Amino acid sequence: MSSQRLRAGSDAPTDRRPLVAGLSVFIPIAILGNALGPVLRYPDVGSAILFVPYAALTAVLAVSRPRQWIWYILVDFVAHFATHWPIWPVSWVLMAGAANLTRALVAAGLLSRFFHEPPRLDGIRSLIVFVTSAVFMAPAVGATIGAATVVLHGGSSTYWLPWTAWFVSNALTGLAMLPALIVGFAHVMGAYRFDLTRERVLEVVALAFALGASSAFAFLTDPSRQHLALPLYAPLPVMVWAALRFGAGGASAVLTVVTFAAIWSVDRGTGPFTGVAPDANILTLQIFVLFTSVPVLCLAAVATARQSVVQLHNALLASFQDQVAILDADGTVIEVNESWLRFAAAPFALEFNRVRAGDRYLAGCEASAAHGDATAAGVLEGLRAVLGGSRRHFAIEYDVERQGQRRTFTMNVEALERVGGGAVLRRSDVTARRQAQLEIEEQRRQLSHLARVAVLGHLSGAFAHELNQPLSAILSNAETAREVLRRQPGNVEYLKAILRDIIADDERAAAVVQRLRALLKRGDRRLQLIEPRELVNEVLDLARTDLITRHVEATAVVSPELPPLWGDKVQLQQVLLNLILNGCEAMSTTAASARRLVLTAEPGGMGSIHLAVRDCGVGIPPALIDRLFEPFVTTKADGLGLGLSISRTIVAAHGGRLWGENNADCGATLHCQLPVAQTSRSATGLEASDVPVAAGDPR
Amino acid sequence: MSTDSTAPQRISIVIVDDDASIRVSLQRLCDVYGLSATAFASGRDFLAALEHSAPRPDCLLLDAHMPGMTGSELHRALRARGVHIPTIVFTADDAPELSAHYATAGIVACLRKPLGAEDLLAAIDQAVGGRNSTA
Repeated sequence: MSSQRLRAGSDAPTDRRPLVAGLSVFIPIAILGNALGPVLRYPDVGSAILFVPYAALTAVLAVSRPRQWIWYILVDFVAHFATHWPIWPVSWVLMAGAANLTRALVAAGLLSRFFHEPPRLDGIRSLIVFVTSAVFMAPAVGATIGAATVVLHGGSSTYWLPWTAWFVSNALTGLAMLPALIVGFAHVMGAYRFDLTRERVLEVVALAFALGASSAFAFLTDPSRQHLALPLYAPLPVMVWAALRFGAGGASAVLTVVTFAAIWSVDRGTGPFTGVAPDANILTLQIFVLFTSVPVLCLAAVATARQSVVQLHNALLASFQDQVAILDADGTVIEVNESWLRFAAAPFALEFNRVRAGDRYLAGCEASAAHGDATAAGVLEGLRAVLGGSRRHFAIEYDVERQGQRRTFTMNVEALERVGGGAVLRRSDVTARRQAQLEIEEQRRQLSHLARVAVLGHLSGAFAHELNQPLSAILSNAETAREVLRRQPGNVEYLKAILRDIIADDERAAAVVQRLRALLKRGDRRLQLIEPRELVNEVLDLARTDLITRHVEATAVVSPELPPLWGDKVQLQQVLLNLILNGCEAMSTTAASARRLVLTAEPGGMGSIHLAVRDCGVGIPPALIDRLFEPFVTTKADGLGLGLSISRTIVAAHGGRLWGENNADCGATLHCQLPVAQTSRSATGLEASDVPVAAGDPR
Repeated sequence: MSTDSTAPQRISIVIVDDDASIRVSLQRLCDVYGLSATAFASGRDFLAALEHSAPRPDCLLLDAHMPGMTGSELHRALRARGVHIPTIVFTADDAPELSAHYATAGIVACLRKPLGAEDLLAAIDQAVGGRNSTA
């Protein structure tokens, strides 16, 4: 039965159980409290030292639904009237009753406004809200009406004396009693449930005993022996105990008892609050309780807040599917989550990961690394760096093979930001993710290959032409040779020259076939150093026949001494070929004499090479300029719109960038920026997906 | 073959092709069959030579597929200048509609690469014979 039940229950008016339970407790408290009022009273001012009905009514209102408030208000007013009339005049009883009601409504209204559940003092913020509403504002409003009542009935010649008396007594009640009563009513009405274990009950008994003993010591001693008022501090440890172990409710219960004991001692003439005039004694007592309550309740609120944080922390740790372990600075496990414990017993856990709280993780890594476990060595190195403060973060990916199954894990080590240091280890099983990644890569490769084949299909006529050229020359030469052999077989030198040409043309044909094969092949990515000039020339070679057919005049402008690129040559050829064909398509409606395509390769700054294909075609429609490289975006009637999209994917995989813009004069330029080869060959994006995987120990 | 018997004066052929291997091999073929062949790498070169009063050949062998000026463009340019030379076009493309296109443009023959000697010589024969008949 949670606190929600009560509030959310406001939609279910049929549930009267909380009301019945609340009334059954509230009625006796209201009668007793109102009867006690006149007893706990300033001798010469008509107001109480501690006004229990205020705390009782506010508490019961704060934990119940507003539509049921009327019942408690009626009960309170009847009790008030019954205990004060006919001792006091009716007008006094009515005005004082109005003051009491207004005060409780202000307090309960403010508490309901600022607390979503029955008010819980679980932090400094909630304490401030509570004190402002129930200890300051509501008593001030009540005192304003109450003091007027006193003055109008001739109880006081000044306004401020009764105001202060009303205010202080209610503020004191709000601070010392209200938290305990809220918890009590919430419990009775089903909003909270106490966990009353045997240990808990025993602790309450022990606390009560200590409270009784310390209160007796503080308030029953002879005033003549109270020189330093030292016994006054005797209840303080008990208050702190209650605050730390039982929260604001427990602290408030102890404060209430101490207050009653102090009032009783004033009446008896023992304890520290004796000596001067009775009203001065009482004011001293009130101020003592006020100033003690504030730090004790602060402590209770902070302790409750800390408990919430711990609960939150545990809930968070338990919710992670990943396995989490927290280490201190010397590599000892402070805490692990459920998932870590489960995994430690599973077959895929490596030896050094089979640890629980209290085990020395770092030492385990060292031992495994010493036995040649490469993963342990990797983790050890990273963990030492993080614990030593030289790195804030470390991650490693490794494979583990058990019974023919292979699983991939990543281990993240994050520095613990706190005094004393430490680290948080998070391990996750990424086998499925990795598998999906490999599948995506394979699909991308297939798609890229299909796109390449499609481009080649476009160029098939051109390839036939390129093959037929040398074949034709070979045939003519061979037929000439046959004729020469028939007519003048002695002309060996001539025949030699012919044969030399036949061989050269044969090689030329073979080169065409070779080039075609390279583009058609569906092999894995082959990374190599690529000279930009070579790349440009080869692509123009591939496209040449097609360019001629389309009447496009293509020129290449390559800066001298460009550094080499690092990548897959076939893929980059595919990209350039796509850009060139794209430019050609854009110029299909341009006058034949104006179809110029310029291919440039120049330094791109920041260690990159800038390739550009500039055409004089129709340009890119403004609506498409941002979406040009998205799949299925095309300006061609028969285009699939995959060429540029795949080109962009390829370029991105090379760590580069592909973009297009319209030229100022005519047509558009497609730009491609690619990083130059690093000496270490590790700076391009290509390696990102080829992360070397640490070897798991194949035990 | 038949070319040997037609005349003591050798028939003159001009070859226009941007591909050097084709030019050389065709020249050799013509040579060995007793034809006198001159080769140009582009239509513009040939037009320039004509303007410098080079003798008009008996037959023109044109590559259809050349950068700058294609075979049919050269053919049109020549006709525009009133120069009518029996012309054979050859192409490495395999598009069947080309032959029909050239046939209507007043071209004697359209051959497909690789060029067989027999086909080529027959076409030249036809071209030259055609010129003789019109002359």
